[in-house]
Amino acid sequence: MAGKAATYSIAWDFALAQTVDNAQRWVLTAMQRYGQELITMLWRILGNEQDVCDAYQDTFLRLAHYENRSKPEHVKSYLFRTAANVAISMLRRKMAQRRLSATIAAGIQDTNLITRNKNDLDSRNLQENLRACITQLPEHLRNVVTLRDLAELSYSQVGKILNISAATARVYRCKAIQLLAVWMSREKEERQ
Amino acid sequence: MTSKKQNNKCRTIRTWLVRALSNRLGFDANWIQNHIADCPKCQRRLAALGKVDLALSIIKSQPLKLDLLMRANTQAVNVLKHSLRHAPKAQRLKTARPEPKLLERCAKYAHPAANVAACITIMLLMKVGIFTSVDKFHTEGRKVVKQYYTTRLGQDLSDEIFSS
Repeated sequence: MAGKAATYSIAWDFALAQTVDNAQRWVLTAMQRYGQELITMLWRILGNEQDVCDAYQDTFLRLAHYENRSKPEHVKSYLFRTAANVAISMLRRKMAQRRLSATIAAGIQDTNLITRNKNDLDSRNLQENLRACITQLPEHLRNVVTLRDLAELSYSQVGKILNISAATARVYRCKAIQLLAVWMSREKEERQ
Repeated sequence: MTSKKQNNKCRTIRTWLVRALSNRLGFDANWIQNHIADCPKCQRRLAALGKVDLALSIIKSQPLKLDLLMRANTQAVNVLKHSLRHAPKAQRLKTARPEPKLLERCAKYAHPAANVAACITIMLLMKVGIFTSVDKFHTEGRKVVKQYYTTRLGQDLSDEIFSS
């Protein structure tokens, strides 16, 4: 009798698990629908393939474990915001590591590095500089820049994702670009 | 309904305003260009903005590998639950490659489609024009014949003939 009850219990647990799993198929649908756009955005923020894969994995893991495995009301908004936040955190960590290693290696005179830093229009330098400045932006401005300029979403889509109007998104983007311009030129002056 | 109409009107006016303002206040406006040419401060600001623009376009132009989506999907699917990992959709995602959007795919047909639409429009206009001309010709001819009968046979008889 007890054995039969145990079998029923296992069968019930299995059925329940199956139902939950089936209910979570939307994670795969979201991956199929938004994956490509997310990868493009992450690639532009991070610029490194392995980091992109890690950030992408982290984003979908968070989505799958969102509030007792329930589906968020706006999956697209959740995905884009989470992916951008994860990527920016990764970028900050990476920059801190780089700064640390630069401090350690400060005594070593690397002539090649100096000439590369002096070249203002070095594209790699410019990209890294911009990425570093983006991480320093206030959250509301950073979100708009990442979604509008790096994910190439329209202002109305950005507004929907961030729960602001399209006009506000425009204003934020304008402010962000002005700040970036000031910071980037300041860094150049400091280097000189 | 009324508010929707109002919104549309607002949007149209906003677009016009933006266009009008950008004509007068955009970077290409003459008075701004003249000022920038003489003001070192504005030159520096403009150069800084240009630098941000340049950096953004460099970042955007960096190509990403075609198999990156596939690799990222595989890595993400592998940390999901067992049942999701083995779902047929997950298997498809593991081999997914980036595809252009529907609009981008249709973009190459835009030019031929526009040509076909233009041809159809011309043909329709020609057809309408021909039929209108034929109708006009018919009416005018009828009037001339009626006039002829009126002068030869009299008003009553011609009215009788042409009334049927």
